[in-house]
Amino acid sequence: MSSFTQVVILCEDRQQEVFARHFLESCGIDRRRLRVNVCPKGRMSGEQFVRDNYASEVRAHRSRASHLNVGLVVMTDADVKSAGEKHRELDGALVAAGELVRKTDERIAVFLPKRNIETWIYFLMGEDVNETDVYSKLKTEGGCKRLVADLAAKPQYRLTDGVLSSLRGACFELRRILPSKQCVEVQG
Amino acid sequence: MLRRIYADNYRALVNFELKLGQINLFLGPNGSGKSAVFEVLRKLVNFVGGYGKVSDVFGSSDCTRWQDSCIQTFELEIAREADVYKYELAIEHAREEAKLRVRHERLWLNNKPLIRFENFDKSDFQPEVQLYRDDHSMGPRYPFDWSQSALASIFPRKENRHLTWFKERLQRVLVVAPVPQLMTEVSAQEEVRPSARLENYASWYRYLSLDQQVVIRLNTSLREAMPEFDHFKFEPLGEDHRLLRVHLRNSDGTGTIGYRFTELSEGQRTLIALYTLMAVSQTEGAGSYTLCLDEPENFLALPEIQPWLTSLYDSCSEGEVQALVISHHPELINYLLASPVGYWFERECNRPTRVKPIAADDGSGLPISELIARGWLRE
Repeated sequence: MSSFTQVVILCEDRQQEVFARHFLESCGIDRRRLRVNVCPKGRMSGEQFVRDNYASEVRAHRSRASHLNVGLVVMTDADVKSAGEKHRELDGALVAAGELVRKTDERIAVFLPKRNIETWIYFLMGEDVNETDVYSKLKTEGGCKRLVADLAAKPQYRLTDGVLSSLRGACFELRRILPSKQCVEVQG
Repeated sequence: MLRRIYADNYRALVNFELKLGQINLFLGPNGSGKSAVFEVLRKLVNFVGGYGKVSDVFGSSDCTRWQDSCIQTFELEIAREADVYKYELAIEHAREEAKLRVRHERLWLNNKPLIRFENFDKSDFQPEVQLYRDDHSMGPRYPFDWSQSALASIFPRKENRHLTWFKERLQRVLVVAPVPQLMTEVSAQEEVRPSARLENYASWYRYLSLDQQVVIRLNTSLREAMPEFDHFKFEPLGEDHRLLRVHLRNSDGTGTIGYRFTELSEGQRTLIALYTLMAVSQTEGAGSYTLCLDEPENFLALPEIQPWLTSLYDSCSEGEVQALVISHHPELINYLLASPVGYWFERECNRPTRVKPIAADDGSGLPISELIARGWLRE
């Protein structure tokens, strides 16, 4: 088990939350160390919620990162944008709030499902998917749990070219949260 | 799954109907009728479970105060895959005689009768029960006492499996408002059901501990939720009585110390009770239990709420358990309302309860708990 004091998950909706939470739990992070900040249904767009809360979560993370073992996972759909565009957008939100852009050694991971989280789930189901089409929502969000656990159990595979590009990107981002050794060994 | 509740002439519930999902959060001001819905459920469970006569379970003070009607009506619908069971109960309050009578009690499966107990308001009519077999053919017909539940009196037989299933499923609707100060540590005997405020926790756990599956599941979940928890142990106190002890691990892993249950903090006792409710409801198989929890987060430390809540949400989302939760806590409200599971209760003084789903976008960007605190939710 990891010794995290806390990992905060900032995300757009319940499906993203369930995916991220189970992914982190399956990678060995104790459920009691996870803290979720998810957009309330119907209050605003999930994308806007994440953008609005990103800077304050980063500021809070930085205020504790020097002396506590904390992490931040941010999840927001790339939609039709490229990963580069989304990262620049999030960097812009930090700069606008007077924060420095994310550095490579910070335990802040950004997951950018493209086109959205359902794309990843259908890919993990073995469907032939692309990152352009929109896929239907699952009947229950928990339907992704087993798929996510399987992915977490394959730390080598999830970084290979066989994995959907945006999902592979998230798995590389995960190494910011979990040390690369742990990424390989926890479930390996 | 309990999918519909109807009540008329019960406190502030007048012609009140609520359709339910797998997880449901009841919000609203004090006195808006949330707990009255739980009371109705508890009374129906107790009545059909044979825990008392109609006058023991229901009271004349429960009638809506601003109405003159002396008939209370209740309905429940429980779905079992594609089948729907509908239970109907009407109670007559004969005020001049200070008596309560069952006016009718009926159970239907997919709109076909399983039992009908009719007590017409005629002096020459003897109240009668008409039973139906599982294939809905007419079964025995016999006179019955209007002070009791006819359903409660039926014993399981091979030709009434539907009726028996409904009775057993209804007994798995657990309605609790945990109050740790009232939870006792001494058990005189096993008790099958938790009491309203979990006063009988030790006796209920004594019953549950007969099932090793429940014990294993509960121990596992408690060790995750309370890293210091190790195990429960009953200590004999005389011939029948048992004292419940909770063994907590030393932080250096060298052993455990057994504390009397009431020596634990109120928060620890509440946490144990909540994880026990989860464990027992997860053990019986998908959809076997409905948990009705009135302010479950009371007494819990803030960091303990979300881990328990995510466990509950996952269980509900996967169909393992159904939950109805009353809460005023921002932590619970903001987390659960990331899904459309909220119902807003409201009423004016001496007027009936009204309930509406919470879903609409108000454009303020404020957390829902903050909108509620400001009184802006329905503005």
